[in-house]
Amino acid sequence: MRKALLIAELSLREAVRKRLVVVLLLLTAAFVGFYLYGVWRLEGTLAQRAIDAGLESRSSTGAANIPIMYAALFGMYLVFFLGSLMAVLSTVGAVSADVENGVMQSVLARPIRRAELVAGRWLGFTLVNVGYVALVSAALLGGIAALTGYVPPDALPAVGLILLAVALLTALTVLGSTLFTTLANGIGVFVLYGAGFAGGILTAIGSFSDSPTLLTLGRVASVLMPTNSLWLGATYHLQPEVLRQLGAASRGANPLFSTDPIAPGMVLWAALYAALAIGLAMWRFSRRDL
Amino acid sequence: MSATIETRELRKVYRGRAVVDGLSLTVGEGEVFGFLGPNGAGKSTTVKMLLGLVRPSGGEVRVLGGSPDDPGVRAQLGFLPEQFRFQTWMTGEEFLTFHGRLAGLAAAEVRTRVPEVLARVGLAGRGREALGGYSKGMLQRAGLAAAILARPRLVFLDEPTSALDPIGRVEVREIIEALRGEGVAVFLNSHLLAEVEQVCDRVAFVKAGRVLRQGTLRELTGGVVPVEVVVDTLSAELRAALARLAEVRHIDENVPGRAALELWVGREDILPALADAIHEHGARLYTLNPRRPDLETMFLDLMDHPASAPEVARA
Repeated sequence: MRKALLIAELSLREAVRKRLVVVLLLLTAAFVGFYLYGVWRLEGTLAQRAIDAGLESRSSTGAANIPIMYAALFGMYLVFFLGSLMAVLSTVGAVSADVENGVMQSVLARPIRRAELVAGRWLGFTLVNVGYVALVSAALLGGIAALTGYVPPDALPAVGLILLAVALLTALTVLGSTLFTTLANGIGVFVLYGAGFAGGILTAIGSFSDSPTLLTLGRVASVLMPTNSLWLGATYHLQPEVLRQLGAASRGANPLFSTDPIAPGMVLWAALYAALAIGLAMWRFSRRDL
Repeated sequence: MSATIETRELRKVYRGRAVVDGLSLTVGEGEVFGFLGPNGAGKSTTVKMLLGLVRPSGGEVRVLGGSPDDPGVRAQLGFLPEQFRFQTWMTGEEFLTFHGRLAGLAAAEVRTRVPEVLARVGLAGRGREALGGYSKGMLQRAGLAAAILARPRLVFLDEPTSALDPIGRVEVREIIEALRGEGVAVFLNSHLLAEVEQVCDRVAFVKAGRVLRQGTLRELTGGVVPVEVVVDTLSAELRAALARLAEVRHIDENVPGRAALELWVGREDILPALADAIHEHGARLYTLNPRRPDLETMFLDLMDHPASAPEVARA
């Protein structure tokens, strides 16, 4: 375990020293600032309209505030998407890149078990990726709250589900990194991510059109890659009642948001899936020739 | 002799092709062992199997009395890979500190040991520079520092001087000799045969994944010492006297006033008798030079005619 923590520490230092963290923070600050500027202008417009309509104030949970609610929802979708990209791109060569460039030989000639190395890489990159998404989520939701006074009803469980999705993506990318070349791994994990997204779309269309076949295909894709289901589960917690009613009225026609909470079994499966991926990565890498 | 490395019928098969095919060798405690062979002979794969980086397809391998899969065994090994690629975002000191911690050294020992090994490989004062700014030679020196950092009992050096200038090569030779003096065994994989001749106690020649011959240089040459002799004149009596002491392999009298002979003697203590015989027959001695066995000639001969090579001291 001590060696795994040493490798995790190495991964964190590597992320900092290669300026991955600095570049990410700067670009993310630019993104969040840009987005919040738009929200601030939107808030100003809505407030002016309320004054023009002779209202003293508007409810943060009422229909008049729906644009702000959607701004928070779509903002979190961007955070989820950026976090997913970050999880894959930062981790794609976690093991394979060091194997390909020869660094791994001198490391594994040391008294460290390969399983410890994989665990350390996963832990290090998970801390970076999860920490990043948690930070950006807090910045975005905190910024919206500061500018508009609007706070989504259950932000913490929503962010928790997004973080689980990021941890799962990181685990699957580490697994791919022990099985494939860096490039093949990147392509593979993005295709898998796309399969999960396709599952959400198929489920939405299947639900809208009452098609059992599409619903089954959607469920299969979601089990294969639960990240989209986790996002949809997060959107349930991010929406106030007024948005859920709107969604229910449209029979789930919007594939990006859900009006139903995620099944607990799916959350458990996602966590188990991540653990299985890391376990498989440890087992596979322990038996691989370098 | 207790064995530091012992392999028996070691095999590695990749996609139906045997890269290492029944390789048996023994390396003793504190011995500097040269591992020689042409490209594609299976040398690197053998080294990787000895380090636990590659799993054998068959046969047995024991390193320091255990399996290289055991971290306890690897804790006593040092390794400089042929492709010395390291984390170039680290400084030299960070790189060595990381490897020291991986090897299980205590923090205090790492702090004292890192400057010691940096100085030993000629990188004193350069430890705070990023490895990304090192030249190839400096990177190889850093790799060598990492290999000897944790006071190993056995060091694998894969082409340790490939990026070094002549001064660096001499320094590496001195480090290898110092390791031998400390009782550390060295497994040297090198194409520089002159280098191997100078430092190795024993060598093994491999081809197509098999050991063709292994032993000391003396054993590999059948115990013969080639001697170069140059005198001013070679009388029939002197020639007969020399023939009684040694096997006369070649005589060259093309240069006026000089006769050059190549003699093979069975033991080094015959050399003074050669000088006495020359003196007693009234000839003037210009050269009496016992040569070390010529590894390059032996290597080329073995690679061209492996079937003619008798096995020496096979494990």
